[in-house]
Amino acid sequence: MADPANTKLGRMLLDEITPVVMVLRTPLVEESCRKNGFSLIEMLAPFSNFNNIDVPVRTASDQPYRLRKFRLRLFYGSEVRQPNIEAAKERLKEVITFSGDKDISDLCSDPPDIESLIAISKQEMVPSWFQNFNKELIDVVAFSEHEAFDHPVACLVAVSSKDKDPIDKFVDLFNTNQLPPLLNDGAMDPKILKYFLLVHDNQDGMLEKASGILTEMRSAFGANDCRLLCINSSTDGAEEHQENLWASYKASISNSKQYGCFLNADDIEELRSTMHDFSSKHIIPHMELKIRVLNQQISATRRGFRNQIRNLWWRKGKDDAPENANGPMYTFSSIESQIRVLGDYAFMLRDYELALSNYRLISTDYKLDKAWKHYAGVQEMMGLAYFMLDQSRKDAEYCMENAFSTYLKIGPSGGRNATRCGIWWAEMLKARDQFKDAAGVYFRIPGEEPLHSAVMLEQASYCFLLSTPTMLRKYGFHLVLSGDLYRKCDQTKHAIRTYRGALSVFKGTTWRHIRDHVHFHIGKWYAFLGMFDEAIKHVLEVLPCGHQTKATQELFLREFFRIIQETGKTYEVLRLQLPVINFPLIKVVFEDHRTYASTAASSVRESLWQSLEEDMIPSLSVMKTNWLESQQKVLPKKYKESNVCVAGEAIKVDISFRNPLQIPISISNVSLICKHSAEFDETESDANGFLIDHQNDKELRAVSNSGEFSLDTSLFTLSEIDISMRGGETILVQLTVTPKIEGSLKVVGVRWKLSGSVVGICNFNSDIIKKKVTKGKKKPKQPVKDNLQFLVIKSLPRLEGIIDNFPKTVYAGDLRRLTLELRNPSKIVVKNLKMKISHPRYLIIADQEVMNSEFPTCLRKQESSSESCTQVDAARAASSLFVFPETTAISSETPLKWPLWFRAAAAGSISLYITIYYEMEDESSVITYRTLRMHYNLEVLPSLEVSFWTSPCSSKLQEFLVRMDVINRTSSESFQIQQLSCVGDQWELVLLQPVESVSPLEVLISGQALSCFFKLKNRRIRQSTEENTSSLATSGRADVKLVDGDSRGLYDTSISPFILFHHHERVHQERQEQGHGGTVDFILISESWSGSDAGLSRTTEVFSHHTCHCRVASKSPIWWSMNGPRSVRHDFSAAFCEINLSMTVYNSSEDVVSVRIVTLDYTPATNSATSAASVSGNEVGWHDTSQLSEIKVTSDVIGSRGGKAPSTDSVSPFIWSGTSSTRFNLEPFSSAQVPLQICVFSPGTLDLSNYILYWNLVSSSDGGHDVDGPKVSSGTCQGHSYHVAVLQKE
Amino acid sequence: MIVCIAVVGHQNNPLYIQSFTEADDALKLHHIVHCSLDVVDERVNNPKKSGPTLNETFLGLLYPTENYKVYGYLTNTKVKFILVTTDLDVRDADVRNFFRRFHAAYVDAVSNPFHVPGKKITSKVFAERVSAIVKSFGLSSAV
Repeated sequence: MADPANTKLGRMLLDEITPVVMVLRTPLVEESCRKNGFSLIEMLAPFSNFNNIDVPVRTASDQPYRLRKFRLRLFYGSEVRQPNIEAAKERLKEVITFSGDKDISDLCSDPPDIESLIAISKQEMVPSWFQNFNKELIDVVAFSEHEAFDHPVACLVAVSSKDKDPIDKFVDLFNTNQLPPLLNDGAMDPKILKYFLLVHDNQDGMLEKASGILTEMRSAFGANDCRLLCINSSTDGAEEHQENLWASYKASISNSKQYGCFLNADDIEELRSTMHDFSSKHIIPHMELKIRVLNQQISATRRGFRNQIRNLWWRKGKDDAPENANGPMYTFSSIESQIRVLGDYAFMLRDYELALSNYRLISTDYKLDKAWKHYAGVQEMMGLAYFMLDQSRKDAEYCMENAFSTYLKIGPSGGRNATRCGIWWAEMLKARDQFKDAAGVYFRIPGEEPLHSAVMLEQASYCFLLSTPTMLRKYGFHLVLSGDLYRKCDQTKHAIRTYRGALSVFKGTTWRHIRDHVHFHIGKWYAFLGMFDEAIKHVLEVLPCGHQTKATQELFLREFFRIIQETGKTYEVLRLQLPVINFPLIKVVFEDHRTYASTAASSVRESLWQSLEEDMIPSLSVMKTNWLESQQKVLPKKYKESNVCVAGEAIKVDISFRNPLQIPISISNVSLICKHSAEFDETESDANGFLIDHQNDKELRAVSNSGEFSLDTSLFTLSEIDISMRGGETILVQLTVTPKIEGSLKVVGVRWKLSGSVVGICNFNSDIIKKKVTKGKKKPKQPVKDNLQFLVIKSLPRLEGIIDNFPKTVYAGDLRRLTLELRNPSKIVVKNLKMKISHPRYLIIADQEVMNSEFPTCLRKQESSSESCTQVDAARAASSLFVFPETTAISSETPLKWPLWFRAAAAGSISLYITIYYEMEDESSVITYRTLRMHYNLEVLPSLEVSFWTSPCSSKLQEFLVRMDVINRTSSESFQIQQLSCVGDQWELVLLQPVESVSPLEVLISGQALSCFFKLKNRRIRQSTEENTSSLATSGRADVKLVDGDSRGLYDTSISPFILFHHHERVHQERQEQGHGGTVDFILISESWSGSDAGLSRTTEVFSHHTCHCRVASKSPIWWSMNGPRSVRHDFSAAFCEINLSMTVYNSSEDVVSVRIVTLDYTPATNSATSAASVSGNEVGWHDTSQLSEIKVTSDVIGSRGGKAPSTDSVSPFIWSGTSSTRFNLEPFSSAQVPLQICVFSPGTLDLSNYILYWNLVSSSDGGHDVDGPKVSSGTCQGHSYHVAVLQKE
Repeated sequence: MIVCIAVVGHQNNPLYIQSFTEADDALKLHHIVHCSLDVVDERVNNPKKSGPTLNETFLGLLYPTENYKVYGYLTNTKVKFILVTTDLDVRDADVRNFFRRFHAAYVDAVSNPFHVPGKKITSKVFAERVSAIVKSFGLSSAV
């Protein structure tokens, strides 16, 4: 450790605990000194400080030592008294205020980083005025009676040579009633060393007179104690001094020119020698002498064992003495005072050993006397002596602590002493690098004034910063505490300084509660000082405080607006965090060759459009490079990266604002900041980035200054939006900029006005630049695509398209005619229109003739309807790209109208995308074609649910029973079922019931279900099976009308909308597995029904429901039917009855089938179960056809049959005759007749179902081509029931 | 009475801080908790002071102020628990017991798969459990 004398405390002690010289002077002396600009003391001050006095000193011990540094403290006699508390307070406050004003310039700079703070050396970091302040604080308790080191050691009596009767003056000056109370009330020895100084002003001449007085003085006061001091030898008063001797002693006066202007070198030399003489020849020897005398005296009375005992005994006796707060009064002659004086003198002469031993001696006495203040003072000095001796740190600390707590104990009178003691103690700890303990001491120093506490707390905080390890958090905390106290004392600048220090701790931490508090208060205080820029900067930090309570947020916001109002102007804040802009959500919509009919269309993913437009526009790669490469000379290279937009067409920027607060805020005048340059920049792309940034900054500034857009309106127009946001709300705002002339446009940022007073600016570019920097490290060559830079080209035609009355919500199956209307507002004609629709199942393009015909009626069957158009339509439906006729060119006057067919195919939400391609007439443009993208969202509600069940008719070949179930799934809508149609020529549909019974109410109201039965016939098979073909012509209709009494014709399902939609439905409803035989497609057409009367007034809506691929065949490839008589009359008395039957078997598969018919004489029990199982297993939801189509009796029969085991006792009423098994092969699509015969023994109704058909495919190729489905290659069929009534012939 | 309970993450970021006073002294308690982290750091970095037991999680009295006593607890994942109490005579055993239960509650809270480590604890269950523990602390010391 360093020499204690070189530490801060050591220097402080060497400065402070030094002999005091009381100066007494006449007013004329003072007057002479005033000529130089200062008082006598000030004049002498530089010379009473000796850096190398080199005086041998011999105190109590015999060993002399040399004193190097020595200092005298000079005080006027009137000042040697306890200072006035109030005045001292004022002075302390002054010190603080002064220092606060001094570093106001620093307040504007950014607070230093905490890391760099630590790195700075101690001296720089801790404000230097603390030292002054501490000194002033210590001086407050100067000249106390219980301490001797402030007691004057000597008295310097100065009289001017001009004074009349100088000898008398000398005597008068030392008159007792002028002397300080210390001397008078007996606290110190009034017999004091006196030194007589005759001050002679050389300007007054008369040196001879002065010498005369001096000799007089010498005779009167003794030769050694008198001296003549000549000053003001310089006559012109322009004496320059190389080093300013007085500067460091009178800090408050900086201009040193006139000080000492009348003192020439001789004068200064004389001053120096006078003071040197005074201290080395008088004061020090005097002190030495006194020390020796006192030491002897004390040794005699107090040292030694006997004296100790006696002393103790004597002290004990005084125990009963009444307690006095200050302890008993010790006069200078008391032994205690003498010991104290001895100690203090020894201390002042650096004989710390002697001082310590005396202090120790007296401290017990004081303690026993309960003279606490004295005791504490002695303890304090002991601590300091220990420190200066640099031994026993523990003792030193113990003494200081003891002194400190004792001072505190004696109440308010000791408070200031405690402060001084604390400051010394803390300095001592700091000197030993025990910063943490020092901080604790500073913290404990009593603050009678909040201001003092504030300074102490601040000092404590620096201790925490200096301690190892650094206790940053405590540093911050104490700074905050100190700042609060400063603020309480109206020391705002200091408060800001401390808070800023604290901010460096809390910056970047997640302790937002504290950080907000600090920021907010700094901001408030800056505003208080009128430094609004700084204030706003700090308050801005706390504005987006979503985590705070609502009240706090309101407080912050209110304060912010108050500050803004005080500034009196609208502020522009570059990074206003209210509202917060969500950056990734910014979306830019602009139109180059792609144009959008609506905003909804622009929000659709680009890839979706691209895939839709793929085969419509010139191929993608060509498109990308084509116009760019061909226009290379016109376009600078860099615009490859920038986007293209058209003059007069708006660029839309979507920005999402988020209100982080819980309180509502209102935002007005939200608009974009844009930069437009009319000419292409010719600089290279590398330098370009920098150049643009530079320009942006300028532009931003210009905009900020003017705050108006008047300059820019000729180049582009901006939209302005006002929004008000509720707490925590996020609002998506669409801002537009419309460039007016060609050039390049850059969207720089966005600006808004918060609550009509603050303008917030957010610069998009800065964020992009940031990214650029980070990205640039990786690939410096690659310029990052800047999507806010646009190349504005001259205006182009832009088609506007709309579909009239496009429904938002429809019921499934709704069939409508819509009109697409295309307009071209510009003069330039466009051509080569093409169109594509994403969902042809929902929307298809109609023929233009449809425009002219009336909608629902045109769907009905016309007399002259040609069936040939079906094929064409199907071909057209296959390709979804529609090319408008060549003649279609749209000019500005006539909008193009084109009909579209719309059908809500399935329930659910659907997005329809339509894109229209067109080319410009004008070939010179950069863009030769454009696309119009339209997007519609549609919700389709479920309406009718239609399902069909078909089952082959057991009695006839190629006839099917069809059951249609219709359920109205809507909540309120009613439908009128109009017609059911089968698609295709080969089918013919007949209603089984009368029309009236189908729907007695004519309408199907919501929730209602309806079932009806149809017979379906296959005409082709009929023809091939050589049935009578005559019926085909008469009854062969694929449509069945389900409404009675409707005079209007049937809907023609073979014309354009139906057949086209049906095509798409078929594609959509494609089934994976296809069984043997054909499938059938049904179209159910219904109309909306809204009451009996209203139905006429409103246009009827037509609904079509397409059900495709209804399986008509069962699983087996064969069909058969039993033919024979239904009733036979026979006389059983004669013989048994033989009935001849024939079975027609038809092979509906494409393979050769081998069929075996096995007749059984018993009823197979398990068959009904297995067949049912096999049917239901493969065809979910289908009913066992035999059960359904036949009368209920059969099911009972089957049921009872199933219950019975094959019993031997129940004899069948008939037997099969002939072979029990017949096998034959059937060619594809051919039929065969098998004769059968039964013998009946008794009359009754017979069920001839006890036969089984076994079939298997015998085609050679069946293993190869049936890989796709689980096609069964063989199977078993249970016979159909066939009832024959045999009656007894009468 | 327990005034404040805090959970501080290993980067000294506040994870959970809950005061149990009616007064509006959140800022003060924040400061106290924040400051006590310095002491925690000091204890951790000077193992000779932390006593003979190596794996001791209980840090003891950190920070006696005029009105409060601050106790600390350090988990193995360097998460700190800070307890601020106004009781001036608290038995260490009580505090230990409190921290043990509090630790259990914390472990349960962060074991939630939806909890993001290092983020604030927002679990309501945790808050309820903690306040129950805090209440029971007052009771047990009163008995």
